Amino acid sequence: MQRKIITVALGVVLALGACAAYAGGSQPNDIRIGAYFVHYDSTATDITGPFTPPGLNTSIGSVTTLYLAYVRTLATHWQVEFAFGYPPVTYAKGKGPATVGSLPYNGKEIASIRWVSPTLLLEYAFFSPRAKWRPFVGLGVNYTRFIDRQITAAGAAISGGPTSISLPSSVGPAVTAGVTYRFSGRWHFTASYSVAQVNSRLTTDTAGILRSNKVHFWPNAAVVSVGYSF
Amino acid sequence: MMKKIGTLLCAMVLVGGIAGCGHNSQSGTVASTDRRGTLVNDPPLRVASLSASGLAAQLTAMPSGAALLQLAGAPVCGVDVYYLKYWTVAPDDSPQLASAALMVPTGSSSTCSGPRPIVEYAHGTATASTYDIADVSNPSNPASAESAIIAAVFAAHGYIVVAPNYLGYDISTLGYHPYVDGAENAIVMMDALTAARKALLSTFTPNTSDDGRLYITGYSEGGYVAMATVKAMQAAGETVTASAPSSGPYALEAFADAIFFGQVDIGATVFAPLITTSYQHAYGNVYSQTSDIYSPTYATGIDTLLPSTTPLDTLFQDGKLPESALFDSTTPTSSTGIAAVDTTADELLALPSSAQYGASLAALFDAGFGTPYLVNNSYRVAYVDDAIIHPDQAEMAILNHQALTSGDVALAASPSIGLRQDLNLNDMRNGGWAPEEPMLMCGGDEDPEVFFMNTQIMAAQWSAYLGTLVNVLDLNATPSGSFAQLQSAFQATYAGLVASEGASTAIQAYHTTEVPFCMVAARDFFGQVQ
Repeated sequence: MQRKIITVALGVVLALGACAAYAGGSQPNDIRIGAYFVHYDSTATDITGPFTPPGLNTSIGSVTTLYLAYVRTLATHWQVEFAFGYPPVTYAKGKGPATVGSLPYNGKEIASIRWVSPTLLLEYAFFSPRAKWRPFVGLGVNYTRFIDRQITAAGAAISGGPTSISLPSSVGPAVTAGVTYRFSGRWHFTASYSVAQVNSRLTTDTAGILRSNKVHFWPNAAVVSVGYSF
Repeated sequence: MMKKIGTLLCAMVLVGGIAGCGHNSQSGTVASTDRRGTLVNDPPLRVASLSASGLAAQLTAMPSGAALLQLAGAPVCGVDVYYLKYWTVAPDDSPQLASAALMVPTGSSSTCSGPRPIVEYAHGTATASTYDIADVSNPSNPASAESAIIAAVFAAHGYIVVAPNYLGYDISTLGYHPYVDGAENAIVMMDALTAARKALLSTFTPNTSDDGRLYITGYSEGGYVAMATVKAMQAAGETVTASAPSSGPYALEAFADAIFFGQVDIGATVFAPLITTSYQHAYGNVYSQTSDIYSPTYATGIDTLLPSTTPLDTLFQDGKLPESALFDSTTPTSSTGIAAVDTTADELLALPSSAQYGASLAALFDAGFGTPYLVNNSYRVAYVDDAIIHPDQAEMAILNHQALTSGDVALAASPSIGLRQDLNLNDMRNGGWAPEEPMLMCGGDEDPEVFFMNTQIMAAQWSAYLGTLVNVLDLNATPSGSFAQLQSAFQATYAGLVASEGASTAIQAYHTTEVPFCMVAARDFFGQVQ
């Protein structure tokens, strides 16, 4: 299913690229660089598995990372944005009792995860392309792949030893709203707020013992960027 | 140009996103062999890490935990509990995956770190196949109480503890438990010890190591297994510093004879299928079909009934097992045609009487008779006839109220019933051996579940070593000697139980009440043998 969604998304990108060849305007391309301020309204089921006390949960720490995007104008009010960030390291923290046995748990960073999380958005921009202020809204798809998954020393102590982490990739919808302020012919600032649905199941393997919980990451990303149109 | 750069950037990110990159932390190594004693996962899984105060708090929150703490003493060390998977073999020599607990004392004092002695503990009879003695912090695990006792008594006082889950429990896929199969369970104990010694090198506290002293103990079935392990390790030339088997059915043949003679112990309807299934798998001579032994009410499926994921009370309620009626209350008679045999057999087959045993014991034994009953009459008669024709000398001496001496505790010379042959083979008197290092046998002489006769018979067998290599502690005896305080404490505890619950309820708990007292006695004994 996930492979199908990715295939469809790639198809959309290619189709839009082809479509762009017919797009009007003298500056149909736009690249942006800025900062992602990502906060996770994460919810998760309690961790289950052998030798797991009840009530152990996880939360995800906020991150800030580099924002990069390519935006292609398709028509007067339509544009497609391909946004991505420098893969940030996010920390999963223990949530639940203060200690498990004599080991601290609540609030301890138990795992670090690096993400690759590109988002493809079809956006509707208001007002004229020449307007200084152009609010926009968009809808698209987010693909998140979790790489470089590492247990921390505290996580290994809690888990009971060296631990591998599995976190399958996620494909989900994403929405955005923002505004662009054009301060010269080709340069502009953009501020936006995006939410994506990122779900996965975190599974750990410690000495052959598997534990897991389902995590809804719900990343909320505030973005400020500067862009150049060409 | 810019358009090309944009396209290239998109392609790079997409490819990176889909193909992925980076790496993942590892979960240790997995053994590639199933050789005996192989530790499967290295490092092992630590399932609990308790500070001394945390362990004390956990124990205090448990039923009877405060009393246990008072008896065992406040924890001196913290305890890390590890769950080991290791390879051993079944009675048919097939490789079997099994699990064990490894408890490592923690703390900075020399009592809790550095080179430390190992106590290997053999657990008691368990009917739940989920029994896992490593699951110390999980109150819903049927092993948690026993696990807490050995953590509090041994690990919290500086002993490294190794405690295997027998085959048939936890992750074992054997499908039955080789119950009171001495040689087999000794193998399990030795293989768990080998794996645990390897695991010790890669725990969170690798500076805590085996100092070379090995103590072996166990309670009830575990008492038997502990003694069988001492026997097997001695035969293999491996040193056991000291041992403390407690309340075990060591003299299996005499014990079973006593039960068939009508002295039905508490728990007999559970022990019976565990034993017959075990020996049928090991020797194939117990029955042709289960109905050879068991009444039609229970015969079907009894060979796969225990251990079970279904609670024992549910098995009783569902009519899979009688709660206590081992034998028919309408007792059968013998008809060998040999008058002397039939006369004796008929006396022994009759319902227990107050005249024979006294009122309270007769009432206890009488609960083993009823309808529906577990063991069919024809099998009981055949067994009793065999036990008369091929007598176990120790049981006969007890029946005749004779004091046991080393000269009259011999096993039956040539029993003809398959089950008796197997009991004879696994009886700890078999093999003409004696412990080469100090042994303490702890128990209580009114134990209604595993009769104290087992300890008395072994003590008589080894009377030449009594007071030196072989020591007996009867918790119920008049307090004296180095264990006087424990004897007094046990008797006061049991008297309190009788006062609060009544004698008939208290007697049901006699056997389990002894456990922490015998384990503390074992620890004190080990402390005297360095």
